This record gives sequence, C-alpha cells and structure tokens, in this order.
Amino acid sequence: MKPFSPVSRARALAPVLALGLMTSSCLAANWTAGFEEGKPAIKSISQITFGPDAILFVADSKSASIFAIATEDAKAGAPGKMIQVAGINAKAAALLGTTADQVLIDDLAVNPISHTAYLAVSRGRGPDAVPTLIRVKQDSQLEWVNLDRVKFSRVDLPDAPTDTPPAEGRRGANPRVETITDIAFLEDRLLVAGLSNEEFSSTLRSVPFPFKKVARGASVEIYHGAHGRFETRAPIRTFVPFMVGNEPQLLAAYTCTPLVQLPLKDLLPGSKVKGKTIAELGNRNRPIDMIVYQKGGKDYLLLANSSRGVMKVSTDKIEAAENIAEPVKDGSTRGLAYETVKGWTGVDQLDRLDQDTALVLRHSEGSVQNLESLPLP
Amino acid sequence: MGVEVRGLSGRISDELARRGDGGWMEWAKTLSVRLVSSNGGTNDWLPMAGSYRAIPGGLRFDARFGLSPGLTYEAVFHPSRLPEARGDEPPLVSRHTPLIRRASSTTRLTQVYPTAAVLPENLLKFYLQFSAPMSRGRIYQHIHLRRANGGEVELPFLEINEELWDPSMTRLTLFIDPGRIKRGVRPLEEIGPALEEGKIYTLTIDSQWRDANDAPLESAFRKRFRVGPPDRDTPDMSLWRVDAPRAGTRGKLKVSFNDPLDHALAQRMIFVRDREGARLEGAIELSDHERRWTFIPRKPWRAGEHTLVAATTIEDLAGNNIDKPFDVDVFDSVQRRIGANEATRRFEVR
Repeated sequence: MKPFSPVSRARALAPVLALGLMTSSCLAANWTAGFEEGKPAIKSISQITFGPDAILFVADSKSASIFAIATEDAKAGAPGKMIQVAGINAKAAALLGTTADQVLIDDLAVNPISHTAYLAVSRGRGPDAVPTLIRVKQDSQLEWVNLDRVKFSRVDLPDAPTDTPPAEGRRGANPRVETITDIAFLEDRLLVAGLSNEEFSSTLRSVPFPFKKVARGASVEIYHGAHGRFETRAPIRTFVPFMVGNEPQLLAAYTCTPLVQLPLKDLLPGSKVKGKTIAELGNRNRPIDMIVYQKGGKDYLLLANSSRGVMKVSTDKIEAAENIAEPVKDGSTRGLAYETVKGWTGVDQLDRLDQDTALVLRHSEGSVQNLESLPLP
Repeated sequence: MGVEVRGLSGRISDELARRGDGGWMEWAKTLSVRLVSSNGGTNDWLPMAGSYRAIPGGLRFDARFGLSPGLTYEAVFHPSRLPEARGDEPPLVSRHTPLIRRASSTTRLTQVYPTAAVLPENLLKFYLQFSAPMSRGRIYQHIHLRRANGGEVELPFLEINEELWDPSMTRLTLFIDPGRIKRGVRPLEEIGPALEEGKIYTLTIDSQWRDANDAPLESAFRKRFRVGPPDRDTPDMSLWRVDAPRAGTRGKLKVSFNDPLDHALAQRMIFVRDREGARLEGAIELSDHERRWTFIPRKPWRAGEHTLVAATTIEDLAGNNIDKPFDVDVFDSVQRRIGANEATRRFEVR
C-alpha cells in the first residue's frame, strides 16, 4: 500500500542511512533465501504492500497469514509515465471472465522499482470468492498475475491470547476473524494492524522479515489519550512509518480520525502503548489510506478520507507537536495544519506512483472505478 | 472451462508447441475467449486470463476462472494468425451462455444480537446473523438506524471497507462508531451520540442486500428497541449466580450474569475446568437475552470442586470487559486493572 521508498527514506531516515544501506546491501541477496517455490495457498487478500527487491507482501485475513511473494518484476520503470485506466473494475472483471458487479478491488500497491500497479481483486463477493492479483503496467495495460509457480514465504499470525477452540454445539469453524486493516514494510520488518470481529480490540504486530515464527501474543494494544481524560482502545485504520527527528515513528489514523504518533521502539510484544494525538481531522469522516512524500524539500502526509476528501498535512512540525489533550470545542481543527486537496474526490485507494505522482483508485457516480495518476499536491 | 480447436496439421501444432510460453496476450491473438457485454459486443473487453497449449492436431485454451451463469462468452479463433497461415481465412466464432441459476430469495436475517428490547446508551455492537452466506461490498447502504419519527441517524456505524464477516459470511459484526459513544470525544460533542437514553430506535436491514448467490433477502428486517441508561460497569464474576448440577448426571450448569454479555464472546470465552485443571467438553447455550449461560457436559459431572473460567477480555454490551471499562478515566480508576488473562469462580458439584 505504501512502500517506504528509498527516496523518502534517504531524507526521512538520514541519521541511519549509512547503516540502513549497508544492512540492505548485505542482506540484499538474502531476502528470498528461505523462499519455497510453488503455489501459495492464499484464501483472501485484504492488503498488499511492496518490500525490498520487488517482493510483494499479501495479507490474508481469512487464513490469518502474511505471504511474501517474489514478483520478479524488478526491472526499473521509466520515470514520469502516467497510468490511466478508465473503468478499471469492468476491465479487471472481463479479464477474470465476469462483470464489474462481481469483482471487488480491495487494495492497490505500486512496485517502487518498476512502477507497475498491483491490484488485489476478489472475483466474487461471497465466501467462495477467489482472491487474485492483477497488475497494470506503465503502458496502462492490464495483466493477470499467475501465482501457480512463484517463490514465496509465509508466516502465520497467532490467534489472540484469549482465543479458545469453539465449543461443542457451535458447528463449523471459529467465527472469530482478525481483519488485517493495514500493512507496511520498514527496514527488516512488516508492521501489521488488525481488528477483531468479536472483541473490540486492535493489534499492531511487528513481524521480522525474512519471516520467522511469530511469537504468541506478539502484539501491542494501542491507546490514544486524546479527548481529555478518557483513554480508549481504538482500531487503527491506516498508518505509515515516518522519522520524527532521529526516531522511527508510526503515524496512524484511527477510525474516528485523530492522527496519532507512536514511537516504534515502544512497540514491544505484549506492551500497551499510548500514542500522542497530533491532529484532529474532523467528524463524519473515516480515514482510508495514507502515503508520505516530499515536495520542495519538505515532508508531507497525504490522507484519503471517506467524506472529507484528501488531506495534505505538513509534517515538518511533528517533532514539536503537542499532544491534544483537550476536546476542541469551537468546531475548528487543532494540531498540525492541513489543507484539503481540491478535486480529489471519491478516492478508494491511494499509493505513490513515483516521486512526483500519486496513483489513486477512485469511484465516480455509480459503480465505475478509475485508476488515475495525479501530480502530488 | 476449456476451448479446443482441432483439425490443425501436425506441423502447425508442433510450431505452436514451440511457441511455448510466449505470453498470454500473444496466444490470445490466435484464440481468445471474451465476455460478451449486454449490448452484444466484445471489442472493449480484454480476453479472459487462462493458459494455452498445443494438443495433437490442435490448440487448447483453459480459462483460469469459471464462467458465470447467465453471461455470454465468445470464443474466436483466427486461422489467419497461425504460423504459416495462407490467405485471409475468416475467423471461427462460437458463443456459449451457461445456464442461469434461478436466484430466488430464500436467505433471511435470522437474528440480531443483542436480542433484548432495551439496550444501553453506550451499546458497542450488533451482530447480524443470516440463514445463508451473504455477499460483501458496499453493505452499509443496506443498514439503517432510524429514530421513532422515522428520521435516520447519520453514520452511526463504524464503516470498515473490509467488512467484519465471519469466515462463512453468515454473520456480520456491526460496531457503533466509538466516536459516537465515547465520553469527551469530539464527534460526539459536534453531532451527538448515535443512541440516546429514553428514545426508541429501529435497526432496519433492506431486502435489496444480496446473498452469496446474488439473490435479494427474502424480506426486510426490523429490530425495534428502547435505549436505557449507559452501562459503565465492568462484568463482575462475583455477582454471577451459579447453579451447580448434581454429580453423576449430565445436568445443566446454569450461570446467570449480572449484566448481559456479548453474544459471540460469551460462547467462546467461558468454560469449565475440573479439579485437575482440564477443560470440560460439552455444549454451550445462551438464553434470556444473553443473560444466561448453560453448559451440558459430554460426560456426567464428577463430584467435587470445579472452576468456571472467563477470559478477562469478555465484554458486555458496551464493550466493558472484566479487565477494564470501555472508557477508562485515567485520573480515576486506571490502576484497577486486573492484568491476568482469566477470571475464575469456583463451584462445588455434589
């Protein structure tokens, strides 16, 4: 969904850059070392994001697993090419032999090397739906991605510590599902945010990559201490890794739209972490997706929302931002300054195509979805 | 689904076999299968994804995905694009329409949990239970919360694109937007709570919602309820009433909660251990509007001490769990957390 690109990292992670590059080059040959070859048993695709060396991470909520797939789509793409596909949902459907109403595009991720867009597409809308990948190359042509024989690696996420087997009399499988709401790759780990369909809990896991077994309970509970005296458990909708000063942080948007900053070093297994609310982004609104980018030497965050359009947040004051501890009474916004980007309406998915361009999946009236390249604001 | 072209010369199919994996688009120039759109055309559509191979005296395409009933597919073979083709032979065209399954409305919404007619003002979630698998994608348009005067409550639910279904897609979890129930949260101050004490609401599910077979629901569903005071107390096991069965029987262990509990969690997070600490197998039932939990063991009860166990993450209707209330007042009682993973209550079987 949002690769932590070499470009932004070079600046954003300046203090650790030398170390980072050395580590990367030492490990470069090893990213796929433990991969097996064959057909990954993917049951659903909730989220996708790119890691190093054109490795695509696929989050499968149904089987509570993450797959790392070597796409081998590692030839550098030409800069400045704009992907434009009108009616992408109908075109993807035709490729899969069905109509637009029978497919759902669940996520979008751009390969930062080739600038090819990958779409997580569900063929069908019921429990027997077939998850699949379609890619859109720089010439805007669609191609189905065959995963029958690929190099891949898989890690299973442990159930919540309190989970117990279904009792007798409850037929079938355990109805509890932890839906993966976002994933992001950072340096040598994959961060995975999840939301349960039973207890109201939100987890954030840090999964080392190359994958090892994830320890049971290797999750953290996130609180945000906003809104005066009450701290609450809150589900993270979307997040990006980001440097604040010298420290890697997560900027996370919660389902009720405050923007929260969490230090990554606090995210230890089993810990309870309290984030700092750095902006309130308004009501009647849900965050959908976010990316970070640079323009004119400054860092920005772009946040797509359900009803308040796309917000551009200047992040150069994050370091100094104070926790918003008091409810905002006058209807104005508090915290980091942001502007609403005009014309970016109906955004369903968002990623960065290259350093100057965003790629958005957005809907117009009716059910038509378009894939459009837009200059970063 | 496969399409075969036969009657080609052995030399041509050898040549095709040599083409190998020249890419699906290359093969598709010779033989392709496309969906026919409702206006009868296929020009706009990409050929279907699948695999090609040469067979003795011919060429075969296997579609990757099945054909959808009721849609028309067109296979086109261009002899003029074969290796060593002579002249402009016209393409061969064949159409196929798989029989439509009659999509009759038989799926129902069978129950909404919590089942009680009075619900706390800070209710956290509903579960919608359907009789058969449903379809996902833009479901929230079919779910409405209306006030007694018919006016619709604006955005009362947490709309999550992924949609919180169970694996069989017969149960949907519907969280009330926490921003509309928490104390002191900004949206609450601006647009008010989703539910207000003393008022009557109706949760309505439209019949247009499609099941997994693309058929609408048998009928719309309405749950009318009154809103009571907020529940800010944590579930307290010491207040539960436990009626122990008699030893040697498979009698019911009856547990009455002080507070109705979450329907899903009460079935998953409460169980019984024997004196040796082994978990007993048996059947669980919830009744009395999620206030009563009963357990029938598979084997007869043995005399002696047993332990009723509940995960501390078990929630009541407002999301308060044994560990802590949904809203923790940080200046007040935050240190009251228990910290253990489970709460227990001993009882004696005689």
